[in-house]
Amino acid sequence: MTARSKPALPSAARAAAMLIRSFAEREIKSVYKRTLLGWLWSLLKPLTTVAVYSLVFGVIYRAEPPPTGSGRGEVFALYLFSGLVVWNVLTAVVNGSMRWMHELSDLRKKIYFPTETALLGGAVAALMQSALEAIVLTVIMAVLLNVSWTLVFLPVAMVLTAAFGLGVGFAAAILNARYRDIQHLVGIVLSVAFFLVPIVYTPDIVPESAYGLPVRRLIELNPLNSMIAVARDAVYFLEAPELGQLAAAAAWAAASFALGWVYFRNRSMRISEEP
Amino acid sequence: MSEPGPANERAAASKPDPANERAAASKPDPANERGAASEPGPEPAPVPEPAVELSGVSKRFRLELDKPSSLKEAVLRLGRRRVDDFWVLHDVSLSIPRGSFFGLVGQNGSGKSTLLRLMAGIHRPTNGEIATKGRLSALLELGAGFHPDLTGRENVYLNGAMLGLGRRQMAAAMDAIVEFSGVGAHIDAPVKIYSSGMYARLGFAVAVNVDPEVLLVDEVIAVGDEEFQRRCLHHMETLRAAGTTIVLVSHDTALVSRLCDTAGWLHDGRLRAVGPPEEVVGQYLASTAADQGGDPSEA
Repeated sequence: MTARSKPALPSAARAAAMLIRSFAEREIKSVYKRTLLGWLWSLLKPLTTVAVYSLVFGVIYRAEPPPTGSGRGEVFALYLFSGLVVWNVLTAVVNGSMRWMHELSDLRKKIYFPTETALLGGAVAALMQSALEAIVLTVIMAVLLNVSWTLVFLPVAMVLTAAFGLGVGFAAAILNARYRDIQHLVGIVLSVAFFLVPIVYTPDIVPESAYGLPVRRLIELNPLNSMIAVARDAVYFLEAPELGQLAAAAAWAAASFALGWVYFRNRSMRISEEP
Repeated sequence: MSEPGPANERAAASKPDPANERAAASKPDPANERGAASEPGPEPAPVPEPAVELSGVSKRFRLELDKPSSLKEAVLRLGRRRVDDFWVLHDVSLSIPRGSFFGLVGQNGSGKSTLLRLMAGIHRPTNGEIATKGRLSALLELGAGFHPDLTGRENVYLNGAMLGLGRRQMAAAMDAIVEFSGVGAHIDAPVKIYSSGMYARLGFAVAVNVDPEVLLVDEVIAVGDEEFQRRCLHHMETLRAAGTTIVLVSHDTALVSRLCDTAGWLHDGRLRAVGPPEEVVGQYLASTAADQGGDPSEA
C-alpha cells in the first residue's frame, strides 16, 4: 500500500544487521552495567540453580544420573546442567522480548527503525550469555574427560531454541504492549513448562500414563523436549542426535519463528500508536 | 485492512537508485558528490523529482475509550469495545521537490506533527501513499531517538545504524557531531544526565551530520538558546545549499517566510494552501486572526 523507498541503505539486510548488532551490544552492556561482578552474574545464576536442583533431586530424592557416553562424569548436576543450558536460552529470549519491546517503544515513537531488529539483537545477546554457560559446562565435561565431536550439536540446539523462543517472544511482545498481563502469564506458563520437560528428571522415570493422561507421550511432544534431547546427546551422552529429534527441533523452531514473525510484522507498526 | 509489514514496504522499495551510489561512496561530507549523484541520467531533469510525495494521505487514530489495559477487562468487555476514531489528516496530497525547503504551518492540533511522523515512517498512513527518496533523517522531538541509558557516543552509533550508517561512517562524523553539539566530554556519559539543551543539541547534531537527503525538523530548534538556534538555522541553510530537502514544522511564521521556498498550511488535518511562503503564511495568519479576532502575530 505504501511505497517507501529507503535507497540510501546499502541494502535493507545490511542495515538490519547493523541494527541487530547495535541492539545486541546495547543489551550486553546494559544488563550488567553498574554491577561489580558483571558477567559473573550470568554464570552465578545458572550455577546456583544447578546447585539447588542437584541438592533437591540428586541428593534428597537421590535421582540416578543416566550413564554418560564415556562412563565418566556421571553426576546428576551435569545431567541437569546440560538441559538447563537450553532452557535458559528459551526463558531469556521469551522474557527478554517483552522487555526489549517495552524499552524501545518510546524510541520507536520518535524514530523509525524495524522494531524486530531490537528483538533479534536481544536474542543474539541472550545467546552470547548462554554461550558462557555452555562453555562452563563443556569445560567441566572436558576436565572429566567426557567429550566428543558431538559437542558441535550443542550450539545447534541452542540456536534452534532461540529461534523457537523468538517466535513466542514476537507474539508475547506485541500482546504485552497492549495487555501488561502477558508478562505475568508468560512467567507462569514458563515455570510450569519447566517441569514438563525432562530437565530435573530423566524421561524414563516418567510413568506411561497418570490420571488417564498419556503423561510420557505429552512430555515427549513438548517442543522443548526435542531441543533438550539434542543438547543432552551432544554433551552428556556423546551421541549424534537422533534424526527424528533434530528434525522435530528444527520444525518447531521454524514454525514458531515464522508464525511469530508474521504476526509481529503485521502488528509492530501499531506500536508507535500505543499510548 | 491490508497491512503489509513496515519493513516490507521499505525493503521492497530499495531498488537501485542514484542514492545507492552515494551511500556506497558515503562520506560524512557529501556536498560535492550530491550534485553529481542526484542526476541519474546525463540530461538534467527540468522538473526536480519529488523527494517526498504524499498522495491522498489520511491518518486515523483510534482512541479506545476506557481501553482495557488488562486481559481480564478485555475479556469482560469482549464485543462491546467503544472506540473513538478521529481523523488527524484528510486526503493530503503533496509533492516536495528535491532540494527544496518546505515549511509547514498551522495551529496546534492541525496535524503537522502527525504529517511529519508519517513522512518519517513512524506511523503508517491509514489511506494513501507516501514515498520518500533518499536517506531520511528526522528530528521530531527533544532528543529524538536517544536511549536514555546509553552514552551520547553509543546513541550516535545507534542512531546511525537506524539511518543505515555503519560505525565507520559514524566514527568519521563523530568529531563534527561532538563539536556541533558542544557536549564535550559528556559525550561518554549516559544521555539521561544531559540537560535538555544538551539533549537537543546532540539530537540536532546527529540529524544534520548523517548526511541526510531529506531532513524533517519539528520545532525542536525552539528549545535551544539564541546561539544554538542561530547555528541550527545556519546549518540548515548549509545543508539546503548542498541539496538536502528540508521539511520544517514551525509556529514561527516569520522564520518560515524567511527560510522556506515553499510553505503549506494545514488546518484541521486538511492541506488548505501550498505555495510561496509569504502568501501561505499570509492566508494562515488572516484565518487565525479572523477566528480569534485578535492579533495575527500571536499565532
